[in-house]
Amino acid sequence: MITTDRGATESFLFVKGLCKKYVRGSFWRKRVAIDAAAGVDFEIAAGRTLALVGESGSGKSTVARCVTRLEKPDSGQVLIGETDIADLDGRELAPFRSRIQMVFQDAVTSMNPSFSAQEVIEEPLLLDSTAGRANLTRKNRSELAAALMEEVKLSPDWLRRSILHFSGGQRQRLALARALALRPQLLVLDEALSGLDLSTQAQIANLLLDLQAAHGLTYLLISHDLALVARLADTIAVISAGKTVEVGPTQQIISSPRVAATQQLVASAEASASNLAAIMGTT
Amino acid sequence: MAENSREKFLEVRDLTVTYFPEGGRPIHALDGVSIGIGAGEVVGILGESGCGKSTLANALVRLSPSHAKIEGMISFRGRDLLTLPVPELRAIRGRDISLMGQDPALGLNPVMKAGTQIEEVLRAHFPFDRKQRRVRAMELLGEVGFDNPAEIYSAYPHQLSGGQRQRIAIAQALSCRPALLIADEPISKLDATLQAGIVELLKRIRRQNQTAILLISHDPSVFAGFANRIAVMYAGRVVELGTTFQIFQQPLHPYTQALVRLASASVITDAKPRIKFPAIEGESARPDQIAAGCRFETRCPERMDICSHRYPQEFFPEPSRPVNCFKYGE
Repeated sequence: MITTDRGATESFLFVKGLCKKYVRGSFWRKRVAIDAAAGVDFEIAAGRTLALVGESGSGKSTVARCVTRLEKPDSGQVLIGETDIADLDGRELAPFRSRIQMVFQDAVTSMNPSFSAQEVIEEPLLLDSTAGRANLTRKNRSELAAALMEEVKLSPDWLRRSILHFSGGQRQRLALARALALRPQLLVLDEALSGLDLSTQAQIANLLLDLQAAHGLTYLLISHDLALVARLADTIAVISAGKTVEVGPTQQIISSPRVAATQQLVASAEASASNLAAIMGTT
Repeated sequence: MAENSREKFLEVRDLTVTYFPEGGRPIHALDGVSIGIGAGEVVGILGESGCGKSTLANALVRLSPSHAKIEGMISFRGRDLLTLPVPELRAIRGRDISLMGQDPALGLNPVMKAGTQIEEVLRAHFPFDRKQRRVRAMELLGEVGFDNPAEIYSAYPHQLSGGQRQRIAIAQALSCRPALLIADEPISKLDATLQAGIVELLKRIRRQNQTAILLISHDPSVFAGFANRIAVMYAGRVVELGTTFQIFQQPLHPYTQALVRLASASVITDAKPRIKFPAIEGESARPDQIAAGCRFETRCPERMDICSHRYPQEFFPEPSRPVNCFKYGE
């Protein structure tokens, strides 16, 4: 198990010993417990980006869901500043829900297809009870929605447009605008750039960097794509079979991966890179 | 070079596909696309979402939606697929030309076992009995890299991972030893760790069976070390064509140049945190709002006045190296 030193930097998110099991099965099938997370440790300094990498099924999404409290961890700590939110519920947890927002892969498919862009962005404002947005007038909300559209480089003229008319990349921008509505401090990006064209991924990655610089956002980035991680993340935590197996600065992990799981991930990324290097004559 | 030297068993000439969705504007998905594929050749189609690559893939096997209007010619071994009677088309589709889609989860029947789905294709084309079909299906499962064909044969798609499902789709596509396999974004929905395995599998198939492959992807790096030639598509048209080497070493069209630059920026060992990607600004042209001039003009860092007035015709800065860009002529 990796021990992380809490003292050094101003840590925004500190996760220690995170465990979560899911139980498969029901009446007629044997119930089997699966340890999705079995001891995960990492921390993210305020305004920085940590990438959680690992192969499919390693537990990354479970960790994301526990950090955002879409799931309640079975054990372990999830510290936001000084407060452990792993065990909180209801009203005590509510203020943290607006401070942490999540963006999923293909986010718009989980949204109401009859909504317009405006309705998608405004929904959290209408539901909010703790971020001080509940008292906004309709006009204020519209203005805020328009401002958020501009921030994610979408035209405010499209506010009334149905989300079905937005392309894949535009939809992810919309999901980001929505996530920013409550002025969160931490964004959890769960494969938020996966499945997009290379050119769109590049645009959205650049947007994420701009938004982070503008708002001092802290990012927890979950991604299987090391090329993206290399540009966006300051630190990488490698998850294998539900446990953190290696944590370190991005360039260090990529240039000298220590454990097998990390080496495999780096090797896969380098395989496609070496084909490219060979054909471009750059090595 | 490319288009003329090797004999093409599939020739697409001026293929134009327009969709007429109910209550919407016509969508010009493909506009005058011409391309040829030789036996055992790997031809890449490079382009982003909306460029018409899936429309092309579907049109080649005549699986376009019913509201599509298709013009042009698709000649397969001398016969025009667009005018072929349906029974004859059916004999070709799946047997001589097969298509695998991008999403392994969507392409498979969720309530049928994997092995049975492979057998379905065999049943459609060959007079095998049950036992022969099963033997063949098991062989195919081994060919696509499964060490445990019996287990996989009896598995349902939801019990398999994304990579495994994609291998099943490949097994289906290969079952009749087609002359041409159309692979539409075969790895874009897969984890990075699984992608290399699928590409290796496709390479092996091509080596062992001399199967020609039309490889469609938005990611240039897929073609490196695999495709012989690449056609770059943008907003429904081919804008550049060349060998893989030429496209990567000396891309001509500003769009191709931007994509190649982006692909090389994704090489991880060079990247440093917080440095932006060399992204292409703007959005891809909408297929229901086609401009009169060059379709890349609004995003092009080298645009000139003429670019918004006229569509650039094919120029040949080198023999057999067509590019639709006014940088190379008027």
